[in-house]
Amino acid sequence: MASVDKVTPMPPGRVRLGSIMPLSSVAARRLILFFALVAAWEFTAEFLVNEFWSSRPSEIVMRLFSMLVDGTLWRHTSITVLEAFAGLLLGAVVGTPLGIWLANAPKASETADPFIMGLYGLPRVALAPLFILWFGIGLLSKIMMSFTMVVFVFLLNSREGVRTVDPDLVDLMRSMRAKSLYRARKVLIPAIVPWILASFRLGIGLSLIGAVVGELVGSSRGLGWYIQNAGGMLDTTGVFTGLVVLMVIAMLANQMIALVEARVLRWR
Amino acid sequence: MEMSKVNADNRAVIEDLSISFPRPGDEDLLVVEAVSFTVGVGEFVAVVGPSGCGKSTILRVLSGLLSANGGTVLIDGQEVSQTPDHVGFMFQKDALLPWATIDENITIGAELGGVPLEDRPALVASLIDMLGLAGFEKAYPKNLSGGMRQRVSLGRLLAYQPTLMLMDEPFGALDYQTKIRMGRELLRIWEAERRSIIFVTHDIEEAIRLADRIVVFSARPARVAAEYIVNLSRPRNLSEMRGNAEFNRLTHAIWSDLSMPT
Repeated sequence: MASVDKVTPMPPGRVRLGSIMPLSSVAARRLILFFALVAAWEFTAEFLVNEFWSSRPSEIVMRLFSMLVDGTLWRHTSITVLEAFAGLLLGAVVGTPLGIWLANAPKASETADPFIMGLYGLPRVALAPLFILWFGIGLLSKIMMSFTMVVFVFLLNSREGVRTVDPDLVDLMRSMRAKSLYRARKVLIPAIVPWILASFRLGIGLSLIGAVVGELVGSSRGLGWYIQNAGGMLDTTGVFTGLVVLMVIAMLANQMIALVEARVLRWR
Repeated sequence: MEMSKVNADNRAVIEDLSISFPRPGDEDLLVVEAVSFTVGVGEFVAVVGPSGCGKSTILRVLSGLLSANGGTVLIDGQEVSQTPDHVGFMFQKDALLPWATIDENITIGAELGGVPLEDRPALVASLIDMLGLAGFEKAYPKNLSGGMRQRVSLGRLLAYQPTLMLMDEPFGALDYQTKIRMGRELLRIWEAERRSIIFVTHDIEEAIRLADRIVVFSARPARVAAEYIVNLSRPRNLSEMRGNAEFNRLTHAIWSDLSMPT
């Protein structure tokens, strides 16, 4: 009658070679893909395309190492991560309550909808020059850039999340005279947690875009600045090194969200 | 307490109740028309009627989730304006919180029912035991079958300490055997605790098997077509009941009420 998760036992008495690092495991397949791509890149740079155009993995590794040693890697990475993270957090803190409020205020939501969608559709990178003007070339303009990139994701997702709350759950709570604060705690917030986590997933890349674009337009630090500076000096290895670091940041952040999801969303 | 209009033995009195829903660009849809019936203290009343006739709507009014257009609803002599105290609801859908464990889902009933904090664990544990859910305390609803989820739902309802239980086709989505078993367990609990029950179903046999009294509704708009007292001794055994003359009389009577043109 009950269908509790079952663990299929391994057939006894046989240890396959693959059981140490089974090819079927995702990690193994990812590792293989990674090395294949790196090898193809290295091969291309060796025999087909002048490495001036697309650098090569071995050069990038060496650059990363020298940057790590002289401290520039930390100097640029830390500031970009800070900008993106602050923007992402601010976006969550502002966007989520707004989304919840709009879901509960259909009239306001209906009225504001075309404007929200207009702002959402606006290529917000084009705001960068304005933000430099308003907020200076320091940290704040980059945080605001990454904030504008992510706030709509949180707003639209949390609004949708509230709208999809099962009305029967709310009715049941009301039939037991649960106060609205209690209903929020037991029904509304747990119901939108998956939506908020999904927003974080989407927001990671967007907040990095915001921070980097802000740096491209005006700054003296950060991975965006580093990439632009390297490009200006025709240093493709420098450009690719900056891109690789950004990619690694995004991947690590994504893994962190995945870990949080695995813990928080066990019920799914 | 003021008990002037009310028989002291009645838990709920529904009098001349009318409910209609507004329809945009059309006249209001009358769902329930001048319905009156009572539920005694500790009485098990089944409400039978065709699907979509407004049975559920009446329960929603009794629980204060919906307001009526006319008539009065009294629970323990008090007119229902907001959600009344200790009236518990159970739907056909389990309506369990998917993010809460079985333990937590039942505890919510106890918490909202005003059970003191220190008494909740023991109460929840005894309900889990009684409903055959032992071993699933830390499981989430997704890991349970439909029948078990409805047990949890019943556990939450009982933990709420209701004096009146509103049950809206609670076993309607279960397979036949599970439905019979759940009905038997409900009776066992009801016989021990004697909480009043209004049990909505469209299954005539289920109504006869469970209830003291059956109120039959007509098709929409719902009106009381007939009322029957079930003169069958308890505990009722399904196979013995089937050959019983009273059982057959009731079945036929209710069948003909339901197929009656309105």
